[in-house]
Amino acid sequence: MDWHQIWEIVSTPDNVPIVALIPLLAFYIYLGVKQARANDQLIAQLETDPALAKTHHRKTWPFRPGWQKEIHVWPFLLRVEFLAAIIVTIILMVWSITLNAPLEEPSNPNVTMNPAKAPWYFLGLQEMLVYFDPWIAGVVMPTLIIVGLIIIPYIDTNPLGAGYYTIKQRKFALATFGFGFLALWVAMILIGTFIRGPGWQWFWPGQTWDHSRLIYEVNRDLPDIFGITSNLGKGIFGAVVVGGYFAAGGLALTLLFRRFMAKDFRRMSILQYSMVAAFMLMMIALPIKMLFRLLFHIKYVWITPWFNI
Amino acid sequence: MAEPLTPDHDPIVTRSYALYYLIAIVLLVASLFWALWDEAYGQRPWKKYQAVFQERYGAFLKSARSQSAQAEKEVQGNPEYRKLAEAADAAEKQATPTIKKIGGQLKEVSARLLAVQNVFTDKRAWVNAKVYEIETEDSARGKQSKQRDLDKYKAQQFTVKFPDGSRKNFNFDQLEEEYNRLREEKARLNADLGELLKPVNEAKTKRDDYLKEHLVSLTPEQIAGLQKKTADWDTKIVQINVASANIVDRCESCHMGIREPVRLTPASLAAKGGKPDEYARAFVSHPDEELLQIHDPDKFGCSPCHQGNGRATTSVTKGHGDYEHWLWPLFARQNVESGCQTCHAADMMLHLTTGNVGQVISEGKFLFRQRGCNGCHKYEGYDREPEDLLNVQQQIKQKEEEQQGNLRRAAVLTKQADNATDNATANRLYAEAEALKVANSRIAGQIEQLDFRSRDLLRDLKKIGPDLKEVRTKLNKNWIPVWLHKPTDFRPTTKMPNFRLNDEQIKAISAFLWQVALTDKLPTAPKGDATRGKELFETRGCLGCHSIGEGPEMQGGDFAANLTRVGEKVNYDYLFRWIKNPRVRTRSYCPYEKKDIGPEDYAKHNLPYQFDFEHSTCPNDGHELQVEQMTVMPSLRLSDEEVADIASYLITQRQKDPASYPEAAFMDDPKLKEEGKKWIRHFGCAGCHEIAGFEDEGRIGTELTVEGSKPLERLDLALHTQKAQEGKEVITDKAILARLPEGPATSDWYNHKGFFEHKLAMPNIYDQGMMKAETEKLRMPDPHLNKDQIQALVTFLLGSQETSLPASYQYKPEDWRRDIQDGWWIVRKYNCVGCHQFTPGQPTSWQNVRRFQDPDWKEQFPPKLLTEGARVDPEWLMRFLANPALSQTDTHRNGVRPYLKIRMPTFFFSDMERRKLVRFFQALSQQPMPYTPERLPTLTAKETDMARSLFTSAAAPCLKCHATGDAAHDKTATAPNFLMAKDRLKPGWTERWITDPQSISPGTSMPSGLFRKDGDHYVFAGPTPSAFAGYDKDHRQLLVRYIFQLTPEEQRRVSGRMGRAPAGKKASSRKPAGSTPAGVQ
Repeated sequence: MDWHQIWEIVSTPDNVPIVALIPLLAFYIYLGVKQARANDQLIAQLETDPALAKTHHRKTWPFRPGWQKEIHVWPFLLRVEFLAAIIVTIILMVWSITLNAPLEEPSNPNVTMNPAKAPWYFLGLQEMLVYFDPWIAGVVMPTLIIVGLIIIPYIDTNPLGAGYYTIKQRKFALATFGFGFLALWVAMILIGTFIRGPGWQWFWPGQTWDHSRLIYEVNRDLPDIFGITSNLGKGIFGAVVVGGYFAAGGLALTLLFRRFMAKDFRRMSILQYSMVAAFMLMMIALPIKMLFRLLFHIKYVWITPWFNI
Repeated sequence: MAEPLTPDHDPIVTRSYALYYLIAIVLLVASLFWALWDEAYGQRPWKKYQAVFQERYGAFLKSARSQSAQAEKEVQGNPEYRKLAEAADAAEKQATPTIKKIGGQLKEVSARLLAVQNVFTDKRAWVNAKVYEIETEDSARGKQSKQRDLDKYKAQQFTVKFPDGSRKNFNFDQLEEEYNRLREEKARLNADLGELLKPVNEAKTKRDDYLKEHLVSLTPEQIAGLQKKTADWDTKIVQINVASANIVDRCESCHMGIREPVRLTPASLAAKGGKPDEYARAFVSHPDEELLQIHDPDKFGCSPCHQGNGRATTSVTKGHGDYEHWLWPLFARQNVESGCQTCHAADMMLHLTTGNVGQVISEGKFLFRQRGCNGCHKYEGYDREPEDLLNVQQQIKQKEEEQQGNLRRAAVLTKQADNATDNATANRLYAEAEALKVANSRIAGQIEQLDFRSRDLLRDLKKIGPDLKEVRTKLNKNWIPVWLHKPTDFRPTTKMPNFRLNDEQIKAISAFLWQVALTDKLPTAPKGDATRGKELFETRGCLGCHSIGEGPEMQGGDFAANLTRVGEKVNYDYLFRWIKNPRVRTRSYCPYEKKDIGPEDYAKHNLPYQFDFEHSTCPNDGHELQVEQMTVMPSLRLSDEEVADIASYLITQRQKDPASYPEAAFMDDPKLKEEGKKWIRHFGCAGCHEIAGFEDEGRIGTELTVEGSKPLERLDLALHTQKAQEGKEVITDKAILARLPEGPATSDWYNHKGFFEHKLAMPNIYDQGMMKAETEKLRMPDPHLNKDQIQALVTFLLGSQETSLPASYQYKPEDWRRDIQDGWWIVRKYNCVGCHQFTPGQPTSWQNVRRFQDPDWKEQFPPKLLTEGARVDPEWLMRFLANPALSQTDTHRNGVRPYLKIRMPTFFFSDMERRKLVRFFQALSQQPMPYTPERLPTLTAKETDMARSLFTSAAAPCLKCHATGDAAHDKTATAPNFLMAKDRLKPGWTERWITDPQSISPGTSMPSGLFRKDGDHYVFAGPTPSAFAGYDKDHRQLLVRYIFQLTPEEQRRVSGRMGRAPAGKKASSRKPAGSTPAGVQ
């Protein structure tokens, strides 16, 4: 266990946000889950008592006599937000006094730092470059992520669970978010920060980042494994495999939806559902591709002159 | 209806946030103040430095001032000062009444002038404004009316009230007149006053200058000035900004004392009663004033020499550039001279008039060549000859092609002219053809010069190691593999590095060398007397470069090999030839054919087998041959008997019997030859040695010209990277650890300095732990350097950087300073400094030779060359350097100082090097080139008589020590013959020499104080000969003129009159009274 190495990574000014991210994320998940569980209990209580349910407006606490039914944004919301703003300002001030921006002067075109890492918020994208070609990982995927986030309101047909924490009423949304944000986005940032060392090689935490480390790893394309050599053959093969994934995945997804979320499924139009299915499959494809690469050393599945997947 | 519920506390509405807000606001305000403090002081640590400096420097100046006042008082007590002070007072007293009178007048006039001026300027302003109006008025009528106004105004009467109360009226013109009159009056009075004060001020200046000159430190007045400056100091960034070189250095914001005119040491700036702390250390003066004077910080800044980040002011670390991303961190104290290399890459020797600045970097530069580093590593400026040679040869080729082209073109033109239809055209074409032919003759001249140059270059080309084509003629066969195993086992001080060869490699390499070596037989050499040989070896000059004896027994120079065990390795016949003339080759080498030329080649062309500088063309193809060994070793012009004696002595220098070396039969195994060739190529042996088949081999190492600025990432520390970063030492061997200049690493050494130091201490260190094939391993051999040598070389390498400074900062002069630069390369190449002193105090090899410790031997030291350029005629020096015997026939002697046992050797310099050396000496003494000898007026008969009487005077018996050419006398002579003076010396120098030889060559036995100053000329200090009665000219000049016109007949006559000097007399007994003691010469 190379503690020196770990300290080196943790203490880099660049990595302060990421190191802070770990406890903060844990804390906020804990806070959210705690509130969600309280709400879920309340929901269960309300569902058994229709009278109470009617009078209930402010969700978290069961309504008490003498309370105002509605309260004003000012001052009751804004005073909390303002307090938060002050605290954030204090944190930023102290941070900027104690840690200088990690700028590396002067520029030297003859030296590329190794590992050369993107700013922490782009580390997830940089990690994706390992698995896809730059066109897919750098352009297509980020666009899809943004488009996917934009369309959420239009495909969300669940009328419940808006404005308060709940697990019970938004299982699908929560699971999808948890997977997409925590498992994919945050995990990839952590990999980029702690795992990727010189040569963008995979170093387990505590392993020394040795610049002269050599590893034996041959990555092959999936068509090569099947002995397909012609470009046309590779293109067709990849299209079949990727198409097959979407067909089979779509089928499986539909079956699962029908079985476990019949209500939601019924509420969705065909357009809404196909959007959900398409984005869902693409999202799941990312970790599948990552596993293919990391475990089976498969570089690309679908090879065309224009893009590689 | 349900019963009304009891009102409850609403947690959102009723909760108070006051406490949270209070805490948050307090923190916010606190962080705001923190930010303000950080902005003002945290990010500006130099403010603190300036405050501390102000305080401590103030205290220092205060005590310095009282000391200075004390010293001032002492000087003021001096009668000379008092005289000056009295003179000043007297002058003042005398002038005072007149000054007072004029002062009174001046005061009055000034007051009157002021009164007039007040009125006049006001009126003039009105007039000027009116004139402007008239000028810009369009209508004639308007002009007229305004003119009337103006005239009216000018005619008015204005009242001036004078300081004495009187009033007077003037119109405008009168007013102007009065004003001008008063002004002139005032100027006249001022001039009078100045005239009066002049003698007073002069006397005062004399008095003050006397004080300044006699105070070691600053005067109290000057210190008071510094005190005021320090007390009034406003905290601010101190910055040197040289826009043309993009230098912005703010170092002096903290290092405030660096340029103060007083000497500041850490101790003098420590806090009261405290030890010198970081502040005290930061405030010291620059350690070398002369260095700073040459490199004025206002032009050079600080960072071009010291590196670091001159712009950074936020912390010491940033300012010194001691952080990961700054590419030019401050040079460590031990390697501070690296900075010199940035601009002085073209220099071989860096030194100042005094002090040892430049010693480390010069040593590094010297070692780089001396240890043969440039055999493997290219470095711009080193070993230029091969590249220059190639360049010259290419130029010759181009010129020849140009000539042929011209000839063709001329032929075409002539033909066209023959067929031309009219005369004018024909004539024009003929003229053009003619011009081309003339151009060809000019080119022929250029080619001739290039040929000379190429011959010179071939002669200047040297190798650091011996010629290995001669191993069969030279060496004990069985000794070779033993030597290759580890050269330092046989000769601990050898230049040859240890190559870590395994047995197979040793066998293969020795077999190859043996089998490709020349098989010619050498003539049998006569035997000599070893006892005589020992004496000759220790006195003739060998020890100027070579050493003998091991450990504390060792004496001599370290430039060439230690010969303690030479008898074990060498053949007697070869040794004889080598000592007689080391430049002799068994066979010459033709670079064109790439082959050694032997008698058979000459026989083919019916030519006698003879090659030397006069017969240097190849019999086969007429190209220039390499006719001499590529060694710098000179010939001492020894007679055959002397050579035999020395060789016989050296052959006895052995610690074991040469026959006891194990038989190495494998060296004749032809199967090993190919393998040996491979390893020789692999290890780059040909970088230092001449080896058959490897004459054109290139360098195998990496170029080091800009190694210091190679990105750290490209210096491969292999498995040691991590440990270097963590500051752990990786060398375990105690002997090798001792080579690290600063001992085992205690902190991060992942930097250039750490890399170089470890690499030089143990060149294969970065192979540790690596699994590598034999051919993959690091090839650099162990140069077994000591820690000072490593420090010198690391200093040199660290400074080997690409610089961002403009080219004008590079020290590449084109005038006489260039001659000095070039000269040092040659002086160090041939180790002239082994015998001669070029700068005062420079050590020579002879100082540690035991024989020379005897006071009787003091005059046997080689002459010092401190002012050689001013001393000798350059034409003569050219001749002398070519042939130090100054004779074609009598060569076994010194030309100038036949009395010296040590002999000035013949170096076989090329014309180019000889020219450079002569220019070097002239430039060192700043003598103009070319030299025009001064013409001395011929002596009259009376002057000759006078001079002769001086020359032979009992108080200055010149011919007692100076040689005369008479063998019996010269046995005891200790100075050169006067007959040579005319050609050899410069009259001006000779005059200075006979006046005060001690200041030209400290320790010389030539007596000082022969002349004393009498008014504006020098007269003889001893009893003046009677012939001088009534002679009022300079006695020195007379004597010099006599010496320069001395003829052999005159000298014989004079020496006959003087009689012989008794032999074996000590220097002290020969001196006239009052001269300084004789010492080393």
